Amino acid sequence: MEIDDDGHPDILSGSYSRMEQDMAGLFQVLYGNPDGTFRKAEVLKGTDGQPLIIPIESRDQQTENICTRPFAVDWDADGHLDLVVGNFSGTFYWFKGEGKGKFQPKPQAVKAGNQPLRIQGAHSDPFPIDWDGDGDLDLLSGTSGGGVQWAENGAGKGKLPELRPFQWLIQPGRAVEYGGVLKEEQLTGPTTSTRVWVDDVNGDGKLDLLVGDSVTLVSPAKGLSEEAFKKKFAAWQKAYETVTKEMSQTTDQAKRSNAQQEFQKLYQRRTEFMNEDRTGFVWLYLQK
Amino acid sequence: MKRLVLGALVLGGSTALCNAAEFQDPVRLKAGDAPVRVESPGYAAPCLADLDADGKKELLVGQFQDGKIRVFKHGGGEKFSPGEWLQAEGTVAHVPGVW
Repeated sequence: MEIDDDGHPDILSGSYSRMEQDMAGLFQVLYGNPDGTFRKAEVLKGTDGQPLIIPIESRDQQTENICTRPFAVDWDADGHLDLVVGNFSGTFYWFKGEGKGKFQPKPQAVKAGNQPLRIQGAHSDPFPIDWDGDGDLDLLSGTSGGGVQWAENGAGKGKLPELRPFQWLIQPGRAVEYGGVLKEEQLTGPTTSTRVWVDDVNGDGKLDLLVGDSVTLVSPAKGLSEEAFKKKFAAWQKAYETVTKEMSQTTDQAKRSNAQQEFQKLYQRRTEFMNEDRTGFVWLYLQK
Repeated sequence: MKRLVLGALVLGGSTALCNAAEFQDPVRLKAGDAPVRVESPGYAAPCLADLDADGKKELLVGQFQDGKIRVFKHGGGEKFSPGEWLQAEGTVAHVPGVW
């Protein structure tokens, strides 16, 4: 994306949170240089000189401004790039742009009717695009639970979007209980924590989807059969449930501390019988 | 963002498609012969953009680990070359506050 109108592509990113007591997922830009290289990430600031942050009134609303995901687009059709942003909680905001990479500091909530637009699940992931080909910007989003959702814009071209509630474009796959062996070759589609990108990948004139995900591949530890793994996992899970119950039920500080130590030890013991490979892939959905 | 260990995984095998589009079955993008994948703890965030103004869009994949971004040259269609870490000012670029 080109944020500052200087003719060189920039890279815009959200973040989970700044490393301060006052959490907030800042927006970061790696500005492009004329020679095609990039500068180190810089915090994107508003016209007031302060970092752009989704404002919250109390810590109870913390999920509104962490785990941010921005997209630069002319949302209100005034000729300037705005920022449409997602967050942990699954809602959306937009910061009005004034051109040349300047954005007003106070965002507006993106709404569906009178209510904040919200995805099913968490981790809103905005990708504004005219998905249905009627000339205005619709909104696609990934989600923590997987799948891809879209919200249709009924406003028409050249107007501030008026979005309908999200509906599924691609449903999440079936859930699988944690603890089973999951091999890479068993995967047949995106799993959880989907992030979506839209483009005509194969040049056939139709919009396709790239969907990033997050998945934990599970295999038995070296020398262990799958059957033995299952038994060991079942025993481990029973112990896990016992210790977590103790932690949640006891009010005695010493007992709670002991239970927490037991939990840590137990958690580490997973590696005695299982390998976990936490990774993520990029899936391509070509439109027919 | 950190996932609970006992959270549910989801397989995409029974993916159902709804509304306004039909898609072919999903395939994992490859870089060379190997699937594009991110480091632990996962969270792949893809993007297509023509960074070098050669008329072809590169695949950029952001990841949670160190906030690094992998860049894969586009070979046309669904083909991408093995990737390299995005550089900024001579070192591997990273986005702060991502881990």
